[in-house]
Amino acid sequence: MSIVFLILSVLPIIAGILIKVLFVPAADGIDITGAHVFFTIDLPLGGLPITEAQVNSWLVILSIMFFCLFLTHGLKTKNISNKQVIVEFLVEKVDGLIKANMGEYFMGFAPFIAAILSLSALSSLMSLFGLFPPTSDINIVGGWAILVFILITYYKMKCGPLIYAKSFGDPVPFLAPLNIISEVATPISMAFRHYGNVLSGSIISMLIAVALANLSNLVFGWIPGFVGDIPFFRMGIPAVLSIYFDLFSGCLQAFIFAMLTMLYVAGGFPQDEYMRRKAARKAAREKASAESVAADAAEA
Amino acid sequence: MNNLDIISVNIWQIALSLINLVILFLILKKLLFKPVKKIIAEREKEIMAEYDKASATNAEAEELKASWEEKMSGAQARADEIIQDAVDKADRRNEVMLYETREKAEAIIKKAKADADRDLRDAQESIRQEIISVSTALSEKIIGREINMDDHRDLIDSFIDNMGDE
Amino acid sequence: MLELAIGIILGGCALGAGCAMIAGIGPGIGEGNAVAAACEAIGRQPECQSTVTTTMLMGCAVAETTGLYALVIAILLLFVAPGRFVNILINAIG
Repeated sequence: MSIVFLILSVLPIIAGILIKVLFVPAADGIDITGAHVFFTIDLPLGGLPITEAQVNSWLVILSIMFFCLFLTHGLKTKNISNKQVIVEFLVEKVDGLIKANMGEYFMGFAPFIAAILSLSALSSLMSLFGLFPPTSDINIVGGWAILVFILITYYKMKCGPLIYAKSFGDPVPFLAPLNIISEVATPISMAFRHYGNVLSGSIISMLIAVALANLSNLVFGWIPGFVGDIPFFRMGIPAVLSIYFDLFSGCLQAFIFAMLTMLYVAGGFPQDEYMRRKAARKAAREKASAESVAADAAEA
Repeated sequence: MNNLDIISVNIWQIALSLINLVILFLILKKLLFKPVKKIIAEREKEIMAEYDKASATNAEAEELKASWEEKMSGAQARADEIIQDAVDKADRRNEVMLYETREKAEAIIKKAKADADRDLRDAQESIRQEIISVSTALSEKIIGREINMDDHRDLIDSFIDNMGDE
Repeated sequence: MLELAIGIILGGCALGAGCAMIAGIGPGIGEGNAVAAACEAIGRQPECQSTVTTTMLMGCAVAETTGLYALVIAILLLFVAPGRFVNILINAIG
């Protein structure tokens, strides 16, 4: 049964390759463009183009979902399998990351951070299969960054909007515009950091691939027949670059995005103040209930 | 059928990817973290139960061991007591026997002494009687007349007494 | 005339992209400093290697951001701006 889930988790990648082969016209030469648009849904504000990036990110989500089903299928308490060791290791690792960087209060963030890590890393790794990596589309990472921004703002406002508003005029009130700009810059810098890294990697890979093809044409072009057209230099050499740009950089950017999310959310949350207020509220409520009980007793 | 520009911001796409992330968060929460957390908690519970059981068994064993040790030491004490008793009894009996034997021996010695005394006295008496009769006969013959027995008895008695004493 | 204008636009965009990438110097120096300090720290306290490495990678990635901004501007100038500008020019000429 679990093997079915494993196959199902690989299937979205194959489907992505098929979609790419069937519907995306082959690029000739250097054309550095965004994702291919399959069709556009008519909506106000420019409509919603269903692009390769969107489709690939859905495929990644599907793949992760089936992989989760595969991992959590047949969990036992005794005589655990290697698979269960791996899944428990992953979960404990994410939990440890949260505990180390955010504290006990934010333990509910563990699935969110795991989602960012897995979605970002696997999206970047899509380029290993020759697919369009969704993370090199600014809209995708922009969406994640905006969600992170919403979370940051929510946790900053948890003590009340007044304290949040006051924090803008922190050292001196006339710095408020700068504070607002730095606040807004957070999601933008996060999005552009991730997007720029992945995109620059793919652009450099593409430039080098084209350069190598030209070089090989120059060196082996004199050989008659089809042999001269084979770009020999494109075999193997781009794979070395791919190790850095796709594997290392992709995973590192995923880790950094998750790390910054944790630091920003936990750093913006005034935990001591919130705990103090919570305790005060609780005490007031208990006092009120005790008073009402006393009043009831007096009436009786 | 065209490509997007390399940077093209579209609000709907951003919203869509935001929703995608939320959906993946829910998927991971429901499908990965919940079952794994549950299984870890279950195992922890089981392990705690095992520990409790093991410690209970351990305590029981300790108790048993203590009771056995107590019993063993009791048995040792009892054995010591029995041996001591036996030794005491034997000692006492020994003493009694010794005492009895000594008494018996003393009685025998005493009896023997008394017998010897009586024999001696009997012999002395018989010798005296004989001496009296012999001396009486002799003196009758010598003197030739009938001696007044009563007169001479005292004389002879004193003589014999002196002789016996010597 | 139109060809000349388009040529000026393309040349200006390419020049601008090249100039934008001067910003690559900053992150380069900054990351070099960061890595040098990390090496020193590891040399002084080899037991902290993993923590130092992680922190260094984090810092490098953050420091890289300015360079990436420049890269994004350069990419815009190279691949997006010429088309837009030429379109604007053609529309203006009519």
